[in-house]
Amino acid sequence: MMKYFKILLLVMLAFASCQNRSGSAKQKKIAIIVSTLNNPWFVFLAQTAAARAKTLGYDSKIFDSQNNTALETDHFENAIADGYNAILFNPTDANGSVVNVQKAKKAGVPVFCMDREVNSPDATSQIFSDSYSGCVALAKDFVQTLNKKGNYVELLGLVADNNTWARSKGFHSLVDYYPGLKMVAQQSADFDRNKGLEVMESILQAHPNIDAVFAGNDAMAMGAYQALVAAGKADHVKVFGFDGAEDAIQAIKDKKVSATAMQFPKVIAQAAADDADAYFKGKRDFPKKLPVAVELVTYDNVNDYIAYGKK
Amino acid sequence: MILSQYRSHLVKFQSLIALVLLCIGIGLLSDKFFTVDNGWNVMRQISVNICISVGMTLVVLTGGIDLSVGSVLAIGGAIAAGLLKFGIEIPSGNLYIGFTLLGSILGGLVIGSLLGLFNGWTITKFKVPPFVATLAMLTIARGFTMLYTKGFPISNLGDSFAYIGTGWFIGIPVPVWISAVVIVVAIVITQKTALGRYIYAIGGNEHASKLSGINISKVKIIVYGIAGMLAAVGGIIVTSRLDSAQPNAGMSYELDAIAAVVIGGTSLSGGRGTIMGTVLGALIIGVLNNGLVLLNVSPFWQQVVKGGVILLAVIIDKANSKND
Repeated sequence: MMKYFKILLLVMLAFASCQNRSGSAKQKKIAIIVSTLNNPWFVFLAQTAAARAKTLGYDSKIFDSQNNTALETDHFENAIADGYNAILFNPTDANGSVVNVQKAKKAGVPVFCMDREVNSPDATSQIFSDSYSGCVALAKDFVQTLNKKGNYVELLGLVADNNTWARSKGFHSLVDYYPGLKMVAQQSADFDRNKGLEVMESILQAHPNIDAVFAGNDAMAMGAYQALVAAGKADHVKVFGFDGAEDAIQAIKDKKVSATAMQFPKVIAQAAADDADAYFKGKRDFPKKLPVAVELVTYDNVNDYIAYGKK
Repeated sequence: MILSQYRSHLVKFQSLIALVLLCIGIGLLSDKFFTVDNGWNVMRQISVNICISVGMTLVVLTGGIDLSVGSVLAIGGAIAAGLLKFGIEIPSGNLYIGFTLLGSILGGLVIGSLLGLFNGWTITKFKVPPFVATLAMLTIARGFTMLYTKGFPISNLGDSFAYIGTGWFIGIPVPVWISAVVIVVAIVITQKTALGRYIYAIGGNEHASKLSGINISKVKIIVYGIAGMLAAVGGIIVTSRLDSAQPNAGMSYELDAIAAVVIGGTSLSGGRGTIMGTVLGALIIGVLNNGLVLLNVSPFWQQVVKGGVILLAVIIDKANSKND
């Protein structure tokens, strides 16, 4: 008896959920799949996208790929099976994520890339931060601030991350032209504030007389600054970061950090959500790739900026 | 006879010998290694791992493992920072509770201990294997950290809080004092108390310990509670050193802690090992981290070298314990 009751219950449940789905078919749903939520920058990106989707009248859900392309594949499959009408996508890997974008296209679900690129023509639009050019601009300020001469340290992000190398290459594309600027150490600190602190502490033992630090993100820059404070060198070593995080903006105001490169996660996330909205309303011709400029923030213009954006 | 005696001494001091050899090697390659400044530097850096891996040693001695320490570290630090900076606000009751420095630290420690005790409870009450129970806690505690911080760091915590991680007391960095206290207390517990004897007994032979009347559940719950509390101590040190509670703090720290325990000669099947061994293990990892950066070794190679050292340590340990 109990067994039949359970089966009946299951059938009813299945029926109920079917009903539910057809009932909400008119309300479009947007999946927001981001590479990681373990970094405030991406949390901000995802939340902004969700907020915009809500304003535009859509349901949305955030999926965290935890920097794992395999998990990202699961999210894509689930989102497609669950009837999501569009995917706002922050890929884990430019090449690894290609199959996921293809899968969505096959299922007729448009994909709008945010911040990071994916090497596939199947994405409906790609709005990304121009990290390379941003770092060239940062490098220009770096060269000027140091007056073309000095020893510096570079802190790399995660060595397996595309952004790590885009930023590093952009920086070196200019700085390496100046023989007076000598990189005495290049180490990875995994985009992490604590690693930035520890690696910098050790580097300072080997190279006590440095003039500047270039860090691949603001978290590492703040960690490096903390190490410089502890070593009593914070006053004459210039620190350069990348991202435009809240701490870094405040530190530039306080003249603790020299400069950072501001990315615009808010602009990117909103534009991607707007693209999805336009797609639902019938638009089909999107620019395949749209780079969003990364702006240099120094003490001179820091008052124009807030965390992750312009005032 | 003399040879075997000599060998048993060698086994006892193998971690120490490895550490000394490592130091000499790095010292020969870099003249910056053997400086007082760098010595404090290494000690300060390993203080967090010492706190975690001492707790881990106690757990491993009972035959268990605690994979949740990194996440518990994160929430301990975040709670302490959050209480200090924002206090607790209950809008519905129009209530605001502020916290002093001591109160917020205590808050972090209490949360860490509670999560640890919860680990012990699920392991003993529901017979969940420690690997699974603490793996679940690894995710749960990280999730709570994200919920509490909303995914953003809590920064600018003030000078008195910064003293914990960056200050000096009688010529020695404060975090080094903290880790020294942790080590001494743990040694006293393991060597001089009934609890210590029970820990070794349970790890050696759980069934026999039960028959001899030891309350196994109680001992295990206490041990996981201590591990949780020590993880929170580590979290408070990290947070203070960075002047910021990072939601992703302590990620994969459990691996460094397990590495320290294993390099220190503690058997992963329980019952055999010492706190001092783990301290040496943590020192070896710390010196290695420091040395590889001093020598500007490529980040790719660093990972290979670190893994190789762990493997080597365990192989030597296995070979020696077979000889015993």
